[in-house]
Amino acid sequence: MTDNLKKGWTPDRRTVLKTGAAMAGAAAVGGAMKATLAEAASPPGTMVIAAPATPQSLDCEFDVSLGTFEAIAACYDCVVEFEKIPDAGVPTARREDINDYPNKPGRVNLVGKLAESWEIDPDSQWIRFKLREGVMSNWGNELTADDVVWTWHRKLALGAIGGFYASVLSYTRPEMVRKESKYVVSFNLDNPNPLLMKLQPNLYNPIFDSTKCAEAGGSEDPWAKEFLKNNTAGFGPYEIAKLVRGNQAVYKARDDYYGGKPAIDTVIFKEVPTTAARAQLLEGGAVDIAQHLQPLELVKLAKVPGVTVDTIPATFMLWIELNAKMKPFDNIDVRRAMNFAFPQEQVISTVFQNLAEPLTACMPDIYAGYNKSYWEYGKQDLAQAKELLKGAGYPDGFETTLAYDASSGSQETSAILYQSALREIGVKLKLKKIPAATFYSNVSERKQPMIFYLDSPWCPDAGYSMNLYFHSKSFINYSNYENARVDELIDAASKTGDMDARLEMMDEVQKHVMREAPWVFVAKTNFSLAHRADLKGWTYYTSNNMRFQDFHR
Amino acid sequence: MTHHPGPAEVDASVDEAGEPGVKPPGSSGFLASWRARLRFLLAVLASRPLFAVGYIIVFAVILLAIFAPWIAPYHPEKANPTDYLQAPSWRHLLGTDQTGMDIFSRIIYAPRIDLTIAIGGTAISAIVGSLIGAVVGYYQEMGGARSVAAGFIMRTADVLQAFPVFVFAIALVAIFGQSLQSIIAAIAFVNAPIYLRLMRSQVLSIRNMRYIEAAYVSGANDMNIMLRHVIPNSMAPILSQLSVNIGWSVLLTAALSFVGAGVEAPIPEWGSMIAMGFGNIITGQWWPSVFPGIALGVTVFGFALVGASVEVLADPARRRALAGTLREKKRPNAPSKQPAEAA
Repeated sequence: MTDNLKKGWTPDRRTVLKTGAAMAGAAAVGGAMKATLAEAASPPGTMVIAAPATPQSLDCEFDVSLGTFEAIAACYDCVVEFEKIPDAGVPTARREDINDYPNKPGRVNLVGKLAESWEIDPDSQWIRFKLREGVMSNWGNELTADDVVWTWHRKLALGAIGGFYASVLSYTRPEMVRKESKYVVSFNLDNPNPLLMKLQPNLYNPIFDSTKCAEAGGSEDPWAKEFLKNNTAGFGPYEIAKLVRGNQAVYKARDDYYGGKPAIDTVIFKEVPTTAARAQLLEGGAVDIAQHLQPLELVKLAKVPGVTVDTIPATFMLWIELNAKMKPFDNIDVRRAMNFAFPQEQVISTVFQNLAEPLTACMPDIYAGYNKSYWEYGKQDLAQAKELLKGAGYPDGFETTLAYDASSGSQETSAILYQSALREIGVKLKLKKIPAATFYSNVSERKQPMIFYLDSPWCPDAGYSMNLYFHSKSFINYSNYENARVDELIDAASKTGDMDARLEMMDEVQKHVMREAPWVFVAKTNFSLAHRADLKGWTYYTSNNMRFQDFHR
Repeated sequence: MTHHPGPAEVDASVDEAGEPGVKPPGSSGFLASWRARLRFLLAVLASRPLFAVGYIIVFAVILLAIFAPWIAPYHPEKANPTDYLQAPSWRHLLGTDQTGMDIFSRIIYAPRIDLTIAIGGTAISAIVGSLIGAVVGYYQEMGGARSVAAGFIMRTADVLQAFPVFVFAIALVAIFGQSLQSIIAAIAFVNAPIYLRLMRSQVLSIRNMRYIEAAYVSGANDMNIMLRHVIPNSMAPILSQLSVNIGWSVLLTAALSFVGAGVEAPIPEWGSMIAMGFGNIITGQWWPSVFPGIALGVTVFGFALVGASVEVLADPARRRALAGTLREKKRPNAPSKQPAEAA
């Protein structure tokens, strides 16, 4: 062969045919192997997940990162949860039943988890839970009322995320949550609060094993902050067997779980930072679930044999904060003009591949009280936008900046489409890409004139949603929106258990907010899950995460 | 006494003694000298086709940068959602990206940004680095405080060069903010030590030449000697490094944009175009990333080739050898020409 090369070797027909046959054979074998890989599954009791990140902290008091949600959902239980019902659009999926039930206690359809029964005041001023007996934690300690009391006292003492829930409930003194007997605990508020029951199933209100926490923290760390950062102490169906941050987390099902051992015995939660890599791993059969993929990737995976993509209307909302304390967005007409100029339909069809709906209200449409009749921006109307700007004193437009998350392809693309549209009405939009690691602090600092934000109010309540984003004192009111009447309505609604009156108040809040447009309303994105076709049992939660215990093959 | 020429008399010709920069006997005039140089350059390019390819590429990129508004069929930053992710076709020669922007138009406009940054940054680094390097090289062996200062500057350059260039550039952009000016400053900052060292090493050898000594004896001060004699005669390696550095700076700019630390979207720039289209490769839309990648690669290649040619032409010994080769090729049997015709 070497001599041939040196002589400027020319292959003969036989060699060409042999080589061609060999290459075709290799391609066929490769294709067969790929098909085999695509159909290959993890062992029956194992589930491998490609995720954007592993849990940063395991303490739900301080961490809201993506990986942490699944960890809390797997290792902890709440006292109650919403009943599950089949989803109307996706027959193989279930979802929480968050409908309003006027005849049920607290008007919610809940089932007991750590609690086997409960009594609730008709005005929602107190609840009494009777806990299940014999429920053991992953450390072998039995669940008692002390654990519930300790958990809620911790929220009050640390005042972080739990402190937010405490404030929403107007839970201001430790003794409002008290042990009645070994297995009975009660919540006793000063005033009726309609969220008293609705917040109990919230993902971030799980119950800790206080015995283990006290033992681990000792007198130096009475609330076990250091311990809970790297360990779990809960009554949930899984425990963490191994955590290597930046690499993977391994969860093992508990044999002694009171609800019965889950079907999936081992969950390997791998960190795969890029969406393209996650999609490829699923397509190739190396993982069972690929989380948080781009719309185009989902569309492509839906056509891959052995892979299923379920997409379900969710509580996600994507919007652009318009900083009401910065010119020119202190002017309502300018904010309205920005909404008229936004190419919403185009963004939904091109950026989100119709895996989203236009955001036409300031709360999720699956929550009671949602009213889309206040949506006036409709199709993009540049003429109307220009007219509003002229009336606001900006006939020639203005210059401003829109910040977006560098890790979000959809935000960048939407921003570019918006920039092109705004150019037509004289608004010069500069795009500012912010690294993912610092994006949230940019949002919370409220120094950008415009910034994207993706969020969902976990508690299925109109008052909760409005309070979160539009009360002038809310930490999450990143647009600095202020309206005294809106504050008054939200405050009043938080103090009454009369649901009909509350819904009426929240309806008026929506009217004001939609008219004054502190946001540019972008999209309601579906929650989509791409997974192996043989994996069943997926359930949608308003916290927009999955729970390993739901799955089976 | 042998006449040693000053900088005004340096040209590409070579004297019989082989000393660089000496005007050969019989040559006449500035224009004649430049015409001769151009002829020589064209002869070199004809004999070295790869060099010619480099010049053609660089020339084409510069033309694109200048005439982009007349060549590009579409506005480079106008999104057209109805045309998103169109495959290459007669309507969109290289296809469109996810916002419907025409890739061909954006590739044509991109050199305006890339070359501005690369040339601006490289020029600043060459000027600043060369001046500092000249001073350091001139005073380094004189002893005293100036020598100590020169040593300090060299150690500082060592520290700067110890950092991985890309990481250093990202850090600078993060400090100064993401703007065209800060990217130029970052490129200038990371490249300056290269020119500093090149100039210093040249100056260390040239400052001991007899004509420098003659200039000193004739009463010229240090500044005069540096500006009129030392620096002009030390420019050869600087010039050859410039072209290579420009190409490398284009690559660095693209890399910064790829990781999100470069120019802002949707300004057309090859690196940011590759980054924007990267995620679409897996979904089958390869063109938003591949075509800008090819354009980037070809451009950097072109600058590298030009740099290689300048390296040959700027070195008197190699230039002499090349001239001799060309003479032999042209008239292999004729008697050797006057040295002026080989320039």
